[in-house]
Amino acid sequence: MVANPILYIALPLFTAFLVPLLAKLWKPLVRIIPGLVLAYLAVMSVVLMQQVGPDKPIITMIAGWKAPWGINLVFTSFSGFIASLISILAFFIWLYSFKFKKVEFDDAQKYFILFMLLTAGSIGVVLTGDIFNMFVFVEITSLSAYALTAFYKGRDGAEAAFKFLLIGSFSSIMLLLGITILYAYTGTLNMAQLAMLMPQVPMHAKIVSFLLFFVALGIEAEMFPLNGWAPDAYSQAPGPIAASFAGILAKAGIYALIRVSYTIFDLGNDGGFELLLVMGLITMVVSELVAMRQENLRRMLAYSSMGQMGLIMIAFGLGTKEGIYAGLFIMFNHAVIKSLLFLASAYLVYYTSRKKISDLDGFGKLLPLTSLLFGLGAFAIVGLPPFSGFWSKLSLLIATADNHMEFVLATILAVSVIEIIYYFRVLGRLYFRKANTEIKVRKPTWNSVVTMISLAIVIIAVGLHPDLITGLLHNAANTLADKAGYIQKIIPDLFSQTLN
Amino acid sequence: MNQILTYSVYGAAILTMLIGIFAILTKKNLIKIVIGMSIMDSGFNLLLIALGYIKGGTAPIFSPAVEGKDVIMVDPVPQALVLTAIVIGFGVTAVALSLVIRLYRKHNTIKIDEIKTLRW
Amino acid sequence: MRKLVIISLLLVLGYYLLDTFAGAEFGKDRKVLSNYYLEKSPSELQVANAVTAIVVNFRGFDTLGEVTVLFLAATGMGTILLRRRSKHTGLNPQRTSPEASKIVQAAGKLLFPAIMILGAYVFIHGHLTPGGGFQGGAIIATGFLLLLISYRQFKVEHKYVTWIESLAGLTFVSIGLLGIVLGPHNSFLENFLNVGTLNELTSGGVIALVYIAVGFKVAAELTGILDTLVNIRETGDID
Repeated sequence: MVANPILYIALPLFTAFLVPLLAKLWKPLVRIIPGLVLAYLAVMSVVLMQQVGPDKPIITMIAGWKAPWGINLVFTSFSGFIASLISILAFFIWLYSFKFKKVEFDDAQKYFILFMLLTAGSIGVVLTGDIFNMFVFVEITSLSAYALTAFYKGRDGAEAAFKFLLIGSFSSIMLLLGITILYAYTGTLNMAQLAMLMPQVPMHAKIVSFLLFFVALGIEAEMFPLNGWAPDAYSQAPGPIAASFAGILAKAGIYALIRVSYTIFDLGNDGGFELLLVMGLITMVVSELVAMRQENLRRMLAYSSMGQMGLIMIAFGLGTKEGIYAGLFIMFNHAVIKSLLFLASAYLVYYTSRKKISDLDGFGKLLPLTSLLFGLGAFAIVGLPPFSGFWSKLSLLIATADNHMEFVLATILAVSVIEIIYYFRVLGRLYFRKANTEIKVRKPTWNSVVTMISLAIVIIAVGLHPDLITGLLHNAANTLADKAGYIQKIIPDLFSQTLN
Repeated sequence: MNQILTYSVYGAAILTMLIGIFAILTKKNLIKIVIGMSIMDSGFNLLLIALGYIKGGTAPIFSPAVEGKDVIMVDPVPQALVLTAIVIGFGVTAVALSLVIRLYRKHNTIKIDEIKTLRW
Repeated sequence: MRKLVIISLLLVLGYYLLDTFAGAEFGKDRKVLSNYYLEKSPSELQVANAVTAIVVNFRGFDTLGEVTVLFLAATGMGTILLRRRSKHTGLNPQRTSPEASKIVQAAGKLLFPAIMILGAYVFIHGHLTPGGGFQGGAIIATGFLLLLISYRQFKVEHKYVTWIESLAGLTFVSIGLLGIVLGPHNSFLENFLNVGTLNELTSGGVIALVYIAVGFKVAAELTGILDTLVNIRETGDID
C-alpha cells in the first residue's frame, strides 16, 4: 500500500475531477468511488500513524523543493492525529449517507464531490506547512461548506448559506491581511521559518497580525461572537453534513487557530493564551445558555457544539501540556460523539419539518435503536461515566486545577449542569411521554445503523479503556508543545545557521 | 519622500478595502453587498501587489531584453499570491451571486430587510 | 447613526492596518524567498517568467487548490441553482432583454475566433511572457460571454464543458502524480522532463504542460459559470 501524505489531497481531487466522467459509465459509481477513496485514506491514516513518532515527523516536499522554498506537508504526531481523525470520521459519514435515496442523481453526484472536497480541504488545512497554502485550503473547505449548506431546496438553506458566505468572506480577508503582514515583515510564508523569524517582527505588527488571525480563524472555529453562521448552517444543512461541520470543519478551524497561536506566534505568554482562555469561557457559557432555550433539536445541538468548542479553547488556552492533552481528548470526543448525535437526530426529525424538540414525544418506542444511540451520545457528551466524554472532561478539570484556576473550574462544572438539564429534557421527551401514534417514522437503513453503532462502540470502548488513545494523545501533546523541534525538523539548515 | 509614497500607496489600498467593507455592512441590496465583497477583495489585491514592489524594479521576466544586464526585479511572490487571491475571490463571488439568484426566486426581492429569514 | 458607528470603527481598523503596513517600507527588498526564486527560476527550471515558475512549480500546490476552488464554484452553483431540468426550448423565458443589434452580433462573430487565438497564445506562452493559464482561460471565457450577450439563443453545451474541465483537471493531477514516480526527488508536481533552454517555447518541462491544462480548465470552468448565470434553465418555483 502506498502511504504518502500527499495522497490525502491528490487522491480526492483526482476523484472529484473523475467522477463526472465515471457517471457517464455507470451511475452508482458516483456513490461508490468517493467511499472507496475515503476508505483508502482512512486505512492510510492508520498506516502513517504507526510510522510517525514524536521525533520523526513525516515531511513531504512538493515539487521537489525543500522547505522553506517550496510548500511541504507536515505529518507529525499532532497534525497526523487530527488528520486521521478527520479521514476516519469522513469515511463513516460517507457510509451513513451513501444510499441517499431522497435526492436525484445529479444532486447526489454533486453532494459526494462536495463532501469529498470538504474532507480533503480540511485535511489540507491540518497538514500543510505553509501559511498561504493553509488559506487556500480554508477557502476550499468553506466553499464546499457554503454549497452543502444550501443543498436542500425546500428549507431555508440559501439564507443560511448566504450568512455563512458573508461571514466567511470577512474571515478570508482577515486571514489574508494577517498573512500579508507577516510576509511584509519576514519575507517568508513557511510556518517553521515564520516561527523562527518571529522575534524580529516589531511588537505592534505582531499584535495586529495575531488579532487578525485570531478573528479569522475564530470564525471557522465557532468562537463567540463570531459564530452567527453556525446555528443556521447546522440546522439547514443535510444531517450528515451537520455532523461533518462539527466533526471535520470545526476541527480544521480549531487546529489552525492552535497552530497559529502555539507555533507561529510567540505571544502565548504575552496574553495570547489568556485571550484564548477568556474567549473560550465566554463562548462556552453563552452557547450553553442559549442552547437551553432552543426549541429546535438541530439548533440545540449546534449551540451545544459551540459550547464544546469553547471547552476546547479553554483547554488550549491553559498553555500547559496537560491542557493540550485535555484539549485533544475533547476534540476527539466531540468529533465522535457530536457526529453520532447529529446522525441520530437526522432520523428523529426526518419527517417533521419543524424539527421541534416537543415533537419528539415517545420516540423511544417508535425508533428504539436510534433513540437509544441518541441517549448514549447525550450521556457521553455531558461527561458521565463510563463513556469517553467522562475522561476528557476529567482531564480538563485536572489541568485547570493544576493551573490554580478555580474560577474556570467552577464555571465548567456549572455549565456541565446546564448541559445535563437540556440533554435530559430531550431524553425525557423521548422516553417518558406518550407517543403520537399518527406520526410516521422512517426506520434507519442498514448502513446508517452500522455507522451509528460503530461510533457508539468507539465511545464505549474509549470510555472503558481510555489507554486505547491516551498514548496517541500524549505524543500529540508533546509534539505541539515542542516548538523548537518543529522548526528544527522542517528547516534544519536554516535552524543550525541561526544557532552559530 | 518615500514616507509619503508609503502612506499614500498603502493608504489608497486600505481605503478601497474599507469602502468595500462599508458597503457590505450598510447596503440593503444583496447585489450591492456582493459588489462590496468584490471591492474589498480588490483593495486587498492592490495592497498585496504594492507590497511586492522593489525600488527601481522591473517585471520578473528574464526575457532576452534583460539578459546579461544587472537589473533589479520586483518581488514575484506577491504577484503569484495575488493570482491565487483573485481566483478565489472570483469563486466566492460566483457562489454568492448564485445564492442571490436563489433568494430572489424564493422571495421575489433582493432587499435584505424584506427577507425575514435572513435576519440574524 | 449606525453608519457613523460603522465608519468610526472602520477608521480605527484602517488606522491600525495602515500603521502596521507603513512599518514595512514601500519598495523595500525582503530578500528571503524572492531572491531564491529569481535565481532558481532561470537557472534550474529555465523558465523566463518567474511568476509562472512560482505559480506552477514552487507554489504549484496552491495552484492546484485554486483550480479546485473554481471547480467547486462551478459545482456549488450547480447545487444551488439547477434542480429540475426542464426541456431546453432554445429561448430562455427568463431572459427578457431584447436581442442585441445586428452590429453587435456580426462583430461578436468576427471577434470570437480572434479572442480564442489570443487566449490560447497567452496560456501557451505562460512561461515566457506575462500571462498564463488563468489569464488565457479568462480571455477565452470572455469570447463565450460575448456570444452569450449577443445571441439570446446561444447556449454552451454543458456536456463538452464537463468533459474539458474533467480531462484538464485529471491531466493536472496526473502530471503531479507522475512527478512522484519519475521526478528526481519523488515529490508531487515535480518536473520530470527536460527543461530545455531559457526563452524557448519548449523550455520549462512540465510547467508549460501544466499551464496549458490550467488554461483549458479555467476556460471551461468560467464559461460554464457564465452560462449557468445567464441561462438558468429552471423556471418558476424552486420548492
